[in-house]
Amino acid sequence: MSTELSDRVREIAGARGVSESEVFEQALERGLEDLWEDLVLTRYLAGKIDRETAVERVGRSTVERADQEVRIVEDDVDWGLNA
Amino acid sequence: MRVAAVSDTGPLIHLAEIESLELLSVFDHLCIPQTVYEELQRGGLPDRLASLDFELVEAGPEQATSSLDAGERAAIAVANERDFVLLTDDLAARETAADTGIEVHGSIGVIALAYSRECISKSDATSLMRALQNETSLFVTDAVVERGIRML
Repeated sequence: MSTELSDRVREIAGARGVSESEVFEQALERGLEDLWEDLVLTRYLAGKIDRETAVERVGRSTVERADQEVRIVEDDVDWGLNA
Repeated sequence: MRVAAVSDTGPLIHLAEIESLELLSVFDHLCIPQTVYEELQRGGLPDRLASLDFELVEAGPEQATSSLDAGERAAIAVANERDFVLLTDDLAARETAADTGIEVHGSIGVIALAYSRECISKSDATSLMRALQNETSLFVTDAVVERGIRML
């Protein structure tokens, strides 16, 4: 583990009054949550799972945000390619 | 077709973060409102901004939109006044501008435009879109960026 990472873990643990192992546990949970969201949204956007399944797995607001991002990105790319 | 644009701070910061500020030279005319320039100055002007050809402009009367910051309001006012494309990566600014009939796009659109005008290769456009997602403060879901890349 890099010194910078160790320093951050120590600082977070100190600021929150928890052990360094607890910081690692929380980091793992957050990281897994992000990776899980990415996986579900990738499958949803690829049409491999339907919207309701995606909502069940990551929540309505996350799916709605992804829908909105898709509209924006598609609109931007379409404009850029045709302007 | 001639494309003129006015940018708020978002695309200027995000494109600078991936060292691609020069992509903004794809526009035939680029404006930066004074307010936006001052906001950038407070955070430190991006290095390559000085080599970019742009017009520094004062915004006219702005509509009171409390949810937007001064730079976003100024950029919308200039876009409205001059009938320019607004460049923003802020969702609220994008919606406000679109509601008033302004054509609005973000950093991903700039990359797509630079690619279609042959300023960069498809491979570079792909890398830059991924870099926007991975290396900048712009929030966009990984799978969404990949969808944009497939459209190139």
